[in-house]
Amino acid sequence: MGLLSIYFKSNFLGLLKCLNKLNWFIVFFSLINLSVCIYEDQIGKFDWRQTYVGRIKFSQFDTVSTAKKIIVATEENVLAALNLKTGQVVWRHVFESASTGNIQLLAITDKVVTVSGANPYLVRGWDSATGVLQWEWSLSLENDDQSDFSEWWVQNDLLIHMLPVFGSHLEVSMYHLATGQNRGYTSKLPASWARDSSCVVTPPYYTCISGEKGSQQLISLDVTSQAVQLITRPLSEYVNLETYDGGIRAVDGSSVIPAFTIEDKKIIMIKNNKFEMLTTNVGDASASVALIDIANGPVVLQAWMDDNQGFTMTAHSVATGAELPELRVTDRNLKLPDPEVSSAVCTKSNREQLVCRVLFNCGDDSMHLMQQGGRVLWSREEALANVVAIEFVELPVSDLDAAIESEFDQKEAAKMYSSIWAAFSRRLQTQFTQLQTLIQSIQRGEGLEEDAPSALVRDYFGLHKIIVLVTDVGKIFGMDNLSGAILWQYYEADLDTEGVVVFTRRTARHPPNDAYLTVVGKQEGTGNGLIISLNPITGTLIGERLLKLDVQLLQCTLLHRPDNEKLHALILLDKEENVQVLPRSAAPLVENMFMYVAERNTARVQGYALVFNGQEVEAIRTWLIQLGGAAGARIVRALAKPPAERVHSPGRVLPDRSVLYKYVNPNLVLFVTEGPDPVHKDVVVATCVDAASGAIVAAQVHRRARALPHAVHTEHYLAYLYYNDKHRRTEIATLELYEGKTRWLPAGAAFSSLSSERAPSVERQAFILSAAPTAAATTVTERSLTDKHVLLALSSGAVVEVPWVYLEARRGGSGEEGVVLPAHAPELPLSGDARLNYNRTLARPAAIHAAPAGLESTSLVLTTGLDLFYTRVAPSKTFDLLKDDFDYYLITVVLAGLIVATYSTKYFASRKMLKQAWK
Amino acid sequence: MKQLLSIVLSVCTFSHVLSAVNVPEEEVGNGRYSIEGKVFPPEELELGPWQVDTRIHVNGGEYIGFIRGDGTFVIHNVPSGSYVVEIIHPDYMYEPVRVEINSKGKFRARKVNYIQTSQVIQVPYPLRLKALSKFRYFQVREQWRLTDFLFNPMVIMMILPLLFIMILPKMMNDPETKEDLKQISNLAKMSEMPEMSEMFTSLFSGGAAAKASAAKAKQVKKRQ
Repeated sequence: MGLLSIYFKSNFLGLLKCLNKLNWFIVFFSLINLSVCIYEDQIGKFDWRQTYVGRIKFSQFDTVSTAKKIIVATEENVLAALNLKTGQVVWRHVFESASTGNIQLLAITDKVVTVSGANPYLVRGWDSATGVLQWEWSLSLENDDQSDFSEWWVQNDLLIHMLPVFGSHLEVSMYHLATGQNRGYTSKLPASWARDSSCVVTPPYYTCISGEKGSQQLISLDVTSQAVQLITRPLSEYVNLETYDGGIRAVDGSSVIPAFTIEDKKIIMIKNNKFEMLTTNVGDASASVALIDIANGPVVLQAWMDDNQGFTMTAHSVATGAELPELRVTDRNLKLPDPEVSSAVCTKSNREQLVCRVLFNCGDDSMHLMQQGGRVLWSREEALANVVAIEFVELPVSDLDAAIESEFDQKEAAKMYSSIWAAFSRRLQTQFTQLQTLIQSIQRGEGLEEDAPSALVRDYFGLHKIIVLVTDVGKIFGMDNLSGAILWQYYEADLDTEGVVVFTRRTARHPPNDAYLTVVGKQEGTGNGLIISLNPITGTLIGERLLKLDVQLLQCTLLHRPDNEKLHALILLDKEENVQVLPRSAAPLVENMFMYVAERNTARVQGYALVFNGQEVEAIRTWLIQLGGAAGARIVRALAKPPAERVHSPGRVLPDRSVLYKYVNPNLVLFVTEGPDPVHKDVVVATCVDAASGAIVAAQVHRRARALPHAVHTEHYLAYLYYNDKHRRTEIATLELYEGKTRWLPAGAAFSSLSSERAPSVERQAFILSAAPTAAATTVTERSLTDKHVLLALSSGAVVEVPWVYLEARRGGSGEEGVVLPAHAPELPLSGDARLNYNRTLARPAAIHAAPAGLESTSLVLTTGLDLFYTRVAPSKTFDLLKDDFDYYLITVVLAGLIVATYSTKYFASRKMLKQAWK
Repeated sequence: MKQLLSIVLSVCTFSHVLSAVNVPEEEVGNGRYSIEGKVFPPEELELGPWQVDTRIHVNGGEYIGFIRGDGTFVIHNVPSGSYVVEIIHPDYMYEPVRVEINSKGKFRARKVNYIQTSQVIQVPYPLRLKALSKFRYFQVREQWRLTDFLFNPMVIMMILPLLFIMILPKMMNDPETKEDLKQISNLAKMSEMPEMSEMFTSLFSGGAAAKASAAKAKQVKKRQ
């Protein structure tokens, strides 16, 4: 009996233990449920993708096949077919981004023909309807130095390659288009008159202006004809040589007629081996000229943009010089900077009407398809294929909410409502207006407009924001993050966006002051500073507006303290190490400011302290680090923490209930350098430097490796990527910095770089990444309470979310409160369900930008590159939001059923009681 | 005279056709090679234009290849070295292959192994690449099923006592079962079963620790 009880007892304990374990398993699975993917029915619910092709290099209308298309080849090395009616991409091929992918020629015969690369060249033929490759062959030139001057065109199913050797001769080769067989020999045509700067190719003619100044000749040669036949005329026949200062330009557009302009004034075309000057002159010095063939003969098309008169397009008949009024367009409101006729096509409709389509390629990288009459059928903002800086901007609250908020604002309330009655009447007033808007919204709801664009006001969860994108060409866009629609655009041709930075200097939380955003860039040409300040909600210039500095900038930052107008001042350090504070009135606020300037090629990092001396702010050199040592390394990546980051959890609880405190130094900067090494070829060094004191906090060396410019840095952890040359694989190294099990500072005390003598303990680990990364970032949430995931963009077009637990240095052990960390494995898992963009592959992802939403659980992510992809991620699942598939219907039915059941049973119970009482 | 000239010309053209044939070999001599292979689409896609969605990345996009209508591809002008060839398709997974070209132009293709980089498992060259499987991008939504509901422990916990309460008293009324029950209880008395009360006292006196751990578990659970 006792035996049995003992047996039973142990069994019971075992059961309990087993249950306990199970419990942990449940906790484990619920906490780090590592599958973060979405459900299939959520496709496109939180995300959108926009595909771009880049600035047009060549374009041609494909009117042969049934589905009408425009074939474009772009500066981004993309070949694409665009739908003629909508402008959407039908098919797209992305070539190599390096010079091996440069498209040299686009021609349309029965196939789409491209020549790409830079010696060796690849000639490919594509099916225009499906985009499938039909044939390709490679071609390499023996003369490598001159190959940059190669000219290509297609004539009668022959690919013609012409290589001018200036001052000597022209080498012309013809190849069979589909096979690459060399038909006819490489002929060398004597052309001692060919000059580098003053020659144009207008297939099949090669034309130069040659000769001594004052007696220049216009010489042209048909390079494909068997007999060498020079066309020579003195230039003085066409222009006044006394004022002539050079300038010969082939006409724009894919014209079939060989023609060119001289001095941007006269149009000359070659007909029957003769020069023929057109009676039409070029309308404007900046005009784009194109010759197109229409039913009544060739037409000269000209388009230009004037600041006062707006956009103008004219068309003149070549034969008579008479203007075609139906093609004339003048539009004051149309803003097409530097329009260039990329291609045009005109057909006659049944009723003898001219139907024209002109594709314009503008200076701001946008393309517009225009109909006769000036109607723009569609536009594509190809500048967005080259985004260089991003900022997420909060929307302002609605007027009503602002009124309610101001009511509860302590200071304001004290000012205005001294008596309790005033406050009460105001309360009633605001509630009345609330009621009014509610009624209005209900009335509007009954109307038709359900899909009306949502007003630009902050939503309850703070998920609606404006994305400000600065593009390479100098165009700034404001984009709605929920729909991806462009809200405003601002083009500044003078902005050189190399190293451009964007600051939100005032959010929209401070009515009546507008939100304030500043873009700090360079001026085209001089490299001097250029500052654009605008309201990110409307896109209008405010404050400093467009400020052109007359000095080059070294570094810029925001003052952490706002001034009276809640504006954060901009601090600029220029090349002479002078400091400018914008606005000037904020200079006295500068206190405890530090800056660093890192030189990319020498790996020299200079620290500065900014001090206000009563009149102005001075920059005092404080420390200097030569990161590469004497060997001469270069900085591949310098990365500080996100400035707005707040860390709300100071430590991590270990399984034994002790706390491991994080080393959270806001001044920490990670430098990844790469340099040569006598023994190990290349060495990658990651150095964590305290930017205020110049102290080196941690460092890590990787031998026989090449650095990649991708790193993440948040809270107490850092990760960076490098290519391991020895094992030929990409690796991701992580560093975690901890203060230890005791706190260095009392809780709540601010960290000071200058007074901390202790070094943090560093945990390190490296993992193999079985893909080629092109960008890295971490998720960002409002209060940093949610888990952090690392987002990696891969060259395959995927954006992958990797939970930090996989990168944790202590992986394999046990983590917080018994949570079992995933077992140590050398390779990071990159499964399909970790892929944020599922099968929406992104071409050439270049950068990932994450921003917090109003909800703590959610982070907004935008990936840029050739495509834009926006989504939102919830690293710890949406714990503060009902699931989007929450069944309101079911819960209502259940609740109603329960209520009915309660009342009916009550009724039946009372009847039973009554019956019993009668018995 | 004219005739003679034309004959000379035609001879010239012939000689140039011959020289053109030799062109590809010259390229190889420059230290540039071509990686060749064939991609087999998954069966579901064989009809559509899968070639447009599929592309070949060599070393993460350093060289990009395109697939012809019949599934073959050539990546031109690759210098000797070691390359990872990946087939990228939005929906289907392909295994990457490492292709090594030595300075003499010999090709070797092997499986990519990032962990044991020296391990060589050769695969045939020219490459023949088949789709492994479809990517699983999405979570499967839980659907409401009656069995799930019935086998839910909470529901079982509710229903079983209900059964006992409702059915057992009815069974008691039945005279036959009454007799059966009696027999069972008699049997129980006869056997050497431990007494219920005794068992419980021994269990609780010795089981204090177990109880504490249970309480602890509860606490922890609450904290979660």
